[in-house]
Amino acid sequence: MLRLQDWIRRASWVDWFLLALRLVVIGVVGSGFVAGLLHPRYAQAEWLSFIAFGLTLGAIYALIALGYTMVYGILRMVNFAHGDVFMAGAYAACFSLLGCNRAGLLASHPLVSIGLALIGSVAAGAGIAVLGERIAYRPFRRSRSLAPLISTLGLSFVLEYSARGMFGAQNKSFPSIPLIDGNVVLMGFSMPRTQIVVVLAAVLTMVVLTLVVMRTRIGTAMRAVAEDQDAAILMGINVDRVIVFTFALGGLLAGIAGLLYGLVYKQVYFFMGFFLGVKGFGAAVLGGIGNIPGAMLGGFALGLVESLGPALFLDGLGVDSPYQLRDGIAYTMLVMVLIFRPRGLLGERLSTVRA
Amino acid sequence: MTPRLRTAVLRALAVTTLAASSLALLGATIARAETAGPVTDEVGVLKVPKGQPILIGGLMVLTGPDGALGLDASRGAQIAFDDHKNMLVGHAIKYAAEDGGCSVEGGQTGATRLAANKQIVGVIGPACSSEARGGAPILWNVGMTMADTSATAPALTAADRPAGLQGFVRFIYNDLNAAAAAVKYAQSLKVTKVATLHDGSLYAQQIAEAFATQWKAAGGTIVAAEAISPSDTDMRPVLTRIGTSHPEMLFAPIFTSASAYLTRQKPEVADMAKVRLLGTDAVLSPAFLEAAGDAAKGYQLTGIDNDPKFMGAGYPQFLTKYKAKFGEAPIAGYHANGYDAATALMLAVEKVAKTDAQGDTYIGRKAVRDALMATKDLDGLSGKLTCDKYGDCGSSHFAVFEYVSGDPSSYNVGVNPKKMYP
Amino acid sequence: MPSDMVEASAPAIDLRIPAQALIGTTLAIVGTCVFVVLVGLFGQFASRALVVDVIDIGHALMLAIALGGGAALTRRIAGPGAVLGGLLAGALAGAALAVLVVATEAANLRWMLVSLTPVTLHAIGYNLPLLQATALLAAGGGIAGALGALLACLPERPRQAFCGMLAGVVFAGLLHELIANLLQDFHSLDDWMFSYDGLLPTGAVLAAALGAVAFLRPGRARFARLPSAARIGVGLACLLALLALPALTNDFVAQVMMLVCLYTLMGMGLNIELGLAGLVDLGFVAFFAVGAYTLALLTATGGVAVAQLNFFVALPFSILAAAIFGFLFGLPVLKVRGDYLAIATLGLGEIIRVLVLSDMLKPLLGGAQGVVNIPKPSLFGLVLGTPTLLFYLTAAMAALAGYCAWRLQHSGLGRRWLAVREDEDVAQALGINLVQVKLSAYTLGAAFAGLAGGIFAGMVGSVFPQSFQLLVSINVLAILVVGGIGSLPGVVIGAAALIGAPEVLRDLGEYRYLIYGLVIIAVVRLKPEGLSPAAIKHREIA
Repeated sequence: MLRLQDWIRRASWVDWFLLALRLVVIGVVGSGFVAGLLHPRYAQAEWLSFIAFGLTLGAIYALIALGYTMVYGILRMVNFAHGDVFMAGAYAACFSLLGCNRAGLLASHPLVSIGLALIGSVAAGAGIAVLGERIAYRPFRRSRSLAPLISTLGLSFVLEYSARGMFGAQNKSFPSIPLIDGNVVLMGFSMPRTQIVVVLAAVLTMVVLTLVVMRTRIGTAMRAVAEDQDAAILMGINVDRVIVFTFALGGLLAGIAGLLYGLVYKQVYFFMGFFLGVKGFGAAVLGGIGNIPGAMLGGFALGLVESLGPALFLDGLGVDSPYQLRDGIAYTMLVMVLIFRPRGLLGERLSTVRA
Repeated sequence: MTPRLRTAVLRALAVTTLAASSLALLGATIARAETAGPVTDEVGVLKVPKGQPILIGGLMVLTGPDGALGLDASRGAQIAFDDHKNMLVGHAIKYAAEDGGCSVEGGQTGATRLAANKQIVGVIGPACSSEARGGAPILWNVGMTMADTSATAPALTAADRPAGLQGFVRFIYNDLNAAAAAVKYAQSLKVTKVATLHDGSLYAQQIAEAFATQWKAAGGTIVAAEAISPSDTDMRPVLTRIGTSHPEMLFAPIFTSASAYLTRQKPEVADMAKVRLLGTDAVLSPAFLEAAGDAAKGYQLTGIDNDPKFMGAGYPQFLTKYKAKFGEAPIAGYHANGYDAATALMLAVEKVAKTDAQGDTYIGRKAVRDALMATKDLDGLSGKLTCDKYGDCGSSHFAVFEYVSGDPSSYNVGVNPKKMYP
Repeated sequence: MPSDMVEASAPAIDLRIPAQALIGTTLAIVGTCVFVVLVGLFGQFASRALVVDVIDIGHALMLAIALGGGAALTRRIAGPGAVLGGLLAGALAGAALAVLVVATEAANLRWMLVSLTPVTLHAIGYNLPLLQATALLAAGGGIAGALGALLACLPERPRQAFCGMLAGVVFAGLLHELIANLLQDFHSLDDWMFSYDGLLPTGAVLAAALGAVAFLRPGRARFARLPSAARIGVGLACLLALLALPALTNDFVAQVMMLVCLYTLMGMGLNIELGLAGLVDLGFVAFFAVGAYTLALLTATGGVAVAQLNFFVALPFSILAAAIFGFLFGLPVLKVRGDYLAIATLGLGEIIRVLVLSDMLKPLLGGAQGVVNIPKPSLFGLVLGTPTLLFYLTAAMAALAGYCAWRLQHSGLGRRWLAVREDEDVAQALGINLVQVKLSAYTLGAAFAGLAGGIFAGMVGSVFPQSFQLLVSINVLAILVVGGIGSLPGVVIGAAALIGAPEVLRDLGEYRYLIYGLVIIAVVRLKPEGLSPAAIKHREIA
């Protein structure tokens, strides 16, 4: 009670406005949610399938978000071009699979083909990420805020339109892989097999990543540099090499995300990286930028919100065609997090521990 | 420079700019009616000096997933120019196409560029209705008529169309007829509950509305009317939502990219797996097969019936010429319309152009438009064309096609996709 | 020179550095040329002639790359060795390219890389058989490489003259349509210099001469010694000539200049937010949209329009609406900083775009069908319908706005903005009310964008949600970066470079954004303070 009185006394009109904003958003979301529950439109099977879509999409967001969060943790810089690393990985996977298809390898040894596609996408992702680091980051290592942001924006355009020039402006489709096509009946409702594969693969990747970051020497070096760069140098860590490794690791993850995206959506397009990159960054911020478990959590959360949001709240509010506003929900959540809890759900663990 | 001097300079600058602008405004002649040479025209007169080429513009989508829609029509127009020996009223024809990007903004930008070149007599295109809505008013503002090849939205030639669209003359069917054909097909399948899905573009929204109106008038029910955006990739949630209303058919007149995602993801949604899907000829191109792959098998769409008895007499020869000139068969459904639009425009120009003694040609802009609107019984490739008083000159015989293979190289209208109905 | 000394005492070591540099340069030249071909730039440009019947733009680009390689070599090898090195590197690169063409044709990579069509591949070697093509490419590359090295070694005046010649030819070749248009009335000169396809060799010679003269800048010292009043007079005369240009030439020039003015207006708005107050705003297009929609709703006939006012009566309303919107936009994100602010504003901008496009707000804003039938601006019965008149309107507005921006920049509020940009905490400690200062930046910046939006709506005649993409915000940001953050003349220069140039270089078409990206990276790397830097150094860049 005393704290409330204190707050009322010290609050400026801006604080009142922000409070009102919070209440409005909660009110809208809440009333939509309640109304949706009262007039149910979807059966349980449908809700489960929404959740399944959300987890699949969320897994991809999580992998992209991890790249952002690792780079930010070490360099305090946002990489606008990370989404295009993802795009490069997706194209590499597409061409590997198409090549295997032409050689007949896809039909006879589908697992080998997917393995080759994995290698291709990982190589492309890591390669483009490291290249980007050389061109758009290294010169700006010492400067603050604006320059790297703009430089990566430029790099993003270069990557996108180079891809357009090289591969064409049309959608390129993945060949179909009978091994993972089709639906599977799980717990009484049917789900596409690809979704299960994707979620499992993503989770496996995240587990491996956590092991690398926590157990290996280079992972420890990464965490050290993220915490305090100067102390790390004093400890004898080669910061340049660690930075390159971080970029490569982030690019690797984005490459895997590209392959998984291709398996689920089966089409790639030169501009696909841009907005997925922005949303990936949003997921990283949502979980707490610089925080690896946070990025994973944020990714899944964003995916679920995008999938469930229109059905959960907008439907209840009686909005026509709620799926048009899907991006609006995702961005609103992102903006709310940035305004009210910039350190995200799990906080900036990697960078806030001080002596 | 002292601060005071700088202030004075900047003030002088502002005043000068304003003064110059006012003078320019006062001095500019803005009288619309124009007389040049032997021609007087309300909107303006184009003078083509002797020996100079006559410019015909083009505005249609040429790149991207829907590029085939515009490129096909543009190629048809080029063959029309070739057939006319690339000469018009004694001047060489120079054709330059701008990319409209199948969007309103692209139409606006392309039209602005074309409008800035006063030597253009008329514009062929566009491919998408959104390009037309954005571009046609800008072009008509400077007096350039548009001979449309595949923008089918009804509002473009409606009775109450605004002044900006008065220069728009259509050489393809009106979507009201396309919707009617879709309604007829749905009725033949004995379905009663239909859901519609549009992608927010002018074309899709209007034809979905037209379909819904006509379907309800015919006694059917629309159980769901949903919308997505053209760049959406995840259709599963919206399909699930549509699935809860249990339709028997989904009418989705959307473009290539979204259609491909829709086709791929429909079997994965339990309630929608058995629902029939009907699209339109916005996806009648190999680009759709490229994007959708094997999922395209069984995809049905409405389109222009290219049965020889409906098409003009010259159609088979035209196909041969197309293959010879461009090295491949037509890549979409609008090549004949492109040819007809170009032919009609050339005939209109020939009717109203006047050449004086020195060899300079004068063409009245409103006269071209009026002549184009007065096209009557033209033996076009897409049929016998006569314009009504609002600019609708297309003939329309529809069929329903179905894709049988996902291989883009097997694209051949009539075979893949094969004709299903009638 | 050190290398001479090394050469005398230990000849074995000396060869390694040049060898490395040579191989590096060769690889760089080959790599860049391969990139140009893969991306499709070469294929697009090979059909366009720079100088008719002499060289096309595609090959000219490759020669330029070899030239650049040769020039870069001089940084590693000194003196005449560099010229020899340039010759070798260029020749090797040319030969390697010819071999690559053959290899690529055999490998058939068309299913992956769409630009490797047989037509393009053959065009690289001018459709000649292998041996001759290799010889030609090697010769061309070698000469260009040697020339590049030579240029870098020359003293200043000859180098300026030579660069001027090259620049003149390139300029005239690329912009031949525009220049031919300008020279329309001088038939004999026009026919002598240009044919319908491009620059004629005779024209090229003239252009080279003019370019050399321009680069040498004779009389420059004398001009600097003139009294300041005379210099201002000359400047004003040039400005008047520039303003009169659209009226003297055709509508296309007017159109391009009008677009440049429009983006300048927006750039001035973002300059207040970003350049002066340091607030990274990637949702800037939202203000532009609010201004455009307000004007549309107040002036259109029919549809969702609310009133049918005159353009000039509605324009203040659109400015006001955008300002209010800017205020509301800035209010939630007051406490957000740095990169987070960039993403937050990006998100807000996207939310606005989604809302405007949605079916939910269709009854109010027209949805995807937009608001149409906006009448052209009319002043006392005079309809501003042609691009020329609209240009003068936009220029007048831009001049007024520029004056306001200039006054703001040098006012107390402007200085408070600069203080906030440098360090928010210190500024607050000094007693500056952060809330007021930041909100005023958002509000005033939005007002400029609203003005631009209103003019845009009147100019185009209809407003559709697809015109308000994120790319517009990024365009304006790029203009600021290239021109110089915080400087007003920089905004004009940036707009002319990034908006005017691509419009004029029509052939670039789809590659416009690729060039954008390269230019942005180059500018931020090489000249971080922009082409026309602000008077007060911006500490955050560099």
